[in-house]
Amino acid sequence: MSDHERETISVDEEIRKLVIARLKLLSPDTMKSIGQMGTFSRKQMIESVERNDEVGQTIKNIEMEWLQAQKEGIVRKLHDE
Amino acid sequence: MTSRMIITRPEHDPGTRYLSCWSKGIIKEAKKKNIDVTDLHKEKATKRELEGRLQKISPMLVVLNGHGNDECVFGHDNEVLISLKNSHLLNGKITYAVSCNSAKKLGKSCDGQDTAYIGYDEKFVFNLERRYLSDPLKDQRAAQFLHASNQVVLSLIKGHTAEESSRSSKRFFREAILKLLPSADNNPHAREDAADLFWDMNHQVCEGNGNLFIQSA
Repeated sequence: MSDHERETISVDEEIRKLVIARLKLLSPDTMKSIGQMGTFSRKQMIESVERNDEVGQTIKNIEMEWLQAQKEGIVRKLHDE
Repeated sequence: MTSRMIITRPEHDPGTRYLSCWSKGIIKEAKKKNIDVTDLHKEKATKRELEGRLQKISPMLVVLNGHGNDECVFGHDNEVLISLKNSHLLNGKITYAVSCNSAKKLGKSCDGQDTAYIGYDEKFVFNLERRYLSDPLKDQRAAQFLHASNQVVLSLIKGHTAEESSRSSKRFFREAILKLLPSADNNPHAREDAADLFWDMNHQVCEGNGNLFIQSA
């Protein structure tokens, strides 16, 4: 495995840890509907992110898009629009 | 000429049940505007019913609630309603698909001058509270998402163009996010909802002729 591949895996693990930490803060009553994949409880979402399955990857992608937008100043942009 | 609208409302799981329940308001508004609404609810949301009605009544507006993928939108029990094989039936119409991914290929195939397709090029996600599964209209968390999504149809039936209606919906998503942001640092629900609303807003697209609008009745 190259250094670049190791670095990518490490970043991915860090993001998943961050997503799981955020999901753990949600109330157990929370559910997320993700189209045909289904509607998931907090526990199921955490398990999916840990397994890195399709549901987990979708949740991770949403988080990454939000983090990227924040980095690019989305709050200011939303206010200005 | 009477304006006509067809809406599909499958109800076979929590996601479709929420979409179906939250569509009642847009049906009511459409009727107020004297739009003749054909409601393909539950078991009526089949390919046979939809194809027959599209050919028979030729509606100006088609609202598809249900699951989907890049090439299809599904009906009740996930029967394929519209795919690349029969998407020509959407020609000459404005379609809004509250459905995952269908704007990617299906929406792009609706590229005629007399056709518009508003949908999502990624998963359509929304958050809800378990305690409201049996009464979705009371779920204020889901309301943030579905209220913003419904603006596409509410704007279309007011006579706005497809492009303007998508922009109006995005404005409601944006307002919902801005309302959540002040508490996002302390309230994990607010942060989660804001991220998901942002995702839906970002992935709603208008394909085809964005200048199309519904002729008034």
